[in-house]
Amino acid sequence: MFQQMNIQQNFPEYNIPGKQHHDFSPYESNGGSIVAIAGKGYAIIAADTRLSSGYSIHTRKQKKTFKLTDTTVLGSTGCWCDTLSLTSLLAYRMQSYVHTHQKTMSTNAIAQLISVMMYNKRFFPYYVSNVLAGLDEEGNGVVYSYDPIGHCEKTTYRAGGTAGALLQPVLDNQIGYKNQNLAEKPEITKEKAISIATDTFISASERDIYTGDSVVICIITKDGIEEKTVQLRKD
Amino acid sequence: MSILAYNGGCVVAMRGKDCVAIATDHRFGVQAQTIDTDFEKVHQVAPKMFLGLVGLQTDILTVRERLAFRKKLYEIRENREMTPKVFSSMLSNFLYERRFGPYFIEPVIAGLDPKTSEPFICNMDLIGCPNVPDDFVVAGTCGEQLYGMCETLWKPDLEPDQLFEVISQSMINAFDRDAISGWGASVYIIEKDKITVKKLKTRMD
Amino acid sequence: MALQEICGLSDAPYMKSRTHFLKSTEEEMKNSTSNIENCYSLSAPPFENPMQNLNAIQQHGEKSGIKIDFDHGTTTLGFKYQGGVLLAVDSRATGGQFIGSQSMKKIVEINDYMLGTLAGGAADCVYWDRVLTQECRLHELRNKERISVAAASKIMANIAHEFKGMGLSMGMMLAGYDKRGPGLYYVDNDAQRTPGNVFSVGSGSIYAFGVLDSGYRWDLTDEEAQELGRRAIYHATFRDAYSGGIVRVYQVTKDGWINISNTDCMELHYKYAEEKK
Repeated sequence: MFQQMNIQQNFPEYNIPGKQHHDFSPYESNGGSIVAIAGKGYAIIAADTRLSSGYSIHTRKQKKTFKLTDTTVLGSTGCWCDTLSLTSLLAYRMQSYVHTHQKTMSTNAIAQLISVMMYNKRFFPYYVSNVLAGLDEEGNGVVYSYDPIGHCEKTTYRAGGTAGALLQPVLDNQIGYKNQNLAEKPEITKEKAISIATDTFISASERDIYTGDSVVICIITKDGIEEKTVQLRKD
Repeated sequence: MSILAYNGGCVVAMRGKDCVAIATDHRFGVQAQTIDTDFEKVHQVAPKMFLGLVGLQTDILTVRERLAFRKKLYEIRENREMTPKVFSSMLSNFLYERRFGPYFIEPVIAGLDPKTSEPFICNMDLIGCPNVPDDFVVAGTCGEQLYGMCETLWKPDLEPDQLFEVISQSMINAFDRDAISGWGASVYIIEKDKITVKKLKTRMD
Repeated sequence: MALQEICGLSDAPYMKSRTHFLKSTEEEMKNSTSNIENCYSLSAPPFENPMQNLNAIQQHGEKSGIKIDFDHGTTTLGFKYQGGVLLAVDSRATGGQFIGSQSMKKIVEINDYMLGTLAGGAADCVYWDRVLTQECRLHELRNKERISVAAASKIMANIAHEFKGMGLSMGMMLAGYDKRGPGLYYVDNDAQRTPGNVFSVGSGSIYAFGVLDSGYRWDLTDEEAQELGRRAIYHATFRDAYSGGIVRVYQVTKDGWINISNTDCMELHYKYAEEKK
């Protein structure tokens, strides 16, 4: 049937087929989205499990969340090889922190570590979209989000990855109560947060071809990390 | 930067129960600079039909004028009112005439059939590939954000006042995440017997 | 053996003892995160001239849809007046057209007597401001007195000079109070460093300057100065797409810096609109 022209990609029909392009393109986008929400006593982070490249799907079962400690989980998408290299380096650095300081890293220490490690590659960045969720010293949820060269910001909710632009305004509205003119803003409970995260992923998989298959939701509380899987569209 | 994002702006249209709604932002800018905050991208082309155009401002104005001309010619020749469906075919043909040197616009049509009052919404790409869904259509620089919002908030068979809530929340929250859209918004609700226009109070940054 | 050296055979991991292999892995790991030990040692890109080539990669990404959009920060201003130094900034961070954040902190608190503002690449500014904070603290410990704004800005300019031509994007103001009185310096990624009375930096600075220049006097009262800064930033957020969010106003006096106000732009807009009527 019809295929609407993707105007974002600047008129591809003017590209002459067979012409040799000498552009250096070291990156690939493997797709995937992350949503993280923090609240009183909990933090949740959800990521879909589709790993793709262009129009083909590599696997439908790739978890994109990385458990770093008992209270911290990193979600990472973008160029999958960069994600792997970043997370393995991170594991090494965290291990050496444990041996040096005789304690596991706190969430905000990890947040800062990731920022510094990403900035190390300032002149050849990791093509990744990172969102870190965890509990702070008081046991309350925190979310840190990153740009590709390690600018880090602490928030309470954040969407990232290929469907980040679709999901972020939804979170602004539903979690941040933006533009709702409410007299009081009820606190988001853990159950509410999980249901919003699930709903946003169902919406995202309708419109973003790189997001789908299933979503893994990590629920971080002081009792540990619980994992839930919800099935999404598989087309 | 794409030429379609030179002036910024967005339009969204939604179908409800026996009604349609179309909303636009008010920004007219030149890249980062905001020139005007009173530039509406939605025009009433018939008593129950609205046309929203986003993209390059100069082309918006040209297309609007040329379409008005063709529509008048049709009405004089045929002696009957143009239905939204016919109008969308005309627009599609009009845009395809410029297949290899297109107008840099994305149109959105929303209206009720003058006879049957059947709701109709439609959008196209810049060379006139029509898309007539039964839920909502979006266009503009914050299209992705709008898709996310609409996909979450829209439900079938919304009453006019519910539809107004849904479309205005979708629009405002979407363009609050886009640097080059916003600066005020208007919503048009088209029902069988009346048309309501509402201006929304939004962020102005 | 010389040929072996040239071919780099001696560096190859085969035919090496296990201890050497382990050592090199560790070395590699350390190298990949070298800036943790030494914050100035960033890893070199696998191509020459990063300013040009990184841009080329980014432009290619524009076509393939793989876009590396760094967060960019925008309108900031600072001026000296009889009461000290006043800084006002917006809080929007944009990656491309997408608004990544509406609540970014563009004023960095370096110590109790010094503030830095950031414009340009968010990561660049935050990272190097953090390094500067460390250097300022070390200066304090070594010399038993607080660093002057002039010296701090010189450190920043030296950093910028070290990385000049590598494509860093920074435009910052350093404001503080030292034994010479109030200080205000502008430092940017070309290693330009200059003291001054009135500065505005960022894409919205042209609009901010318009308001600032028309209302600026040396003998402004504290309230007038705060309102001038706030108004200048507000007008910049209105006209400039890449500025917005919250208007933060800070003041530096001889007793250190204080945060005067953080006001949402929406609130300000409707307040000023009301006053116009």
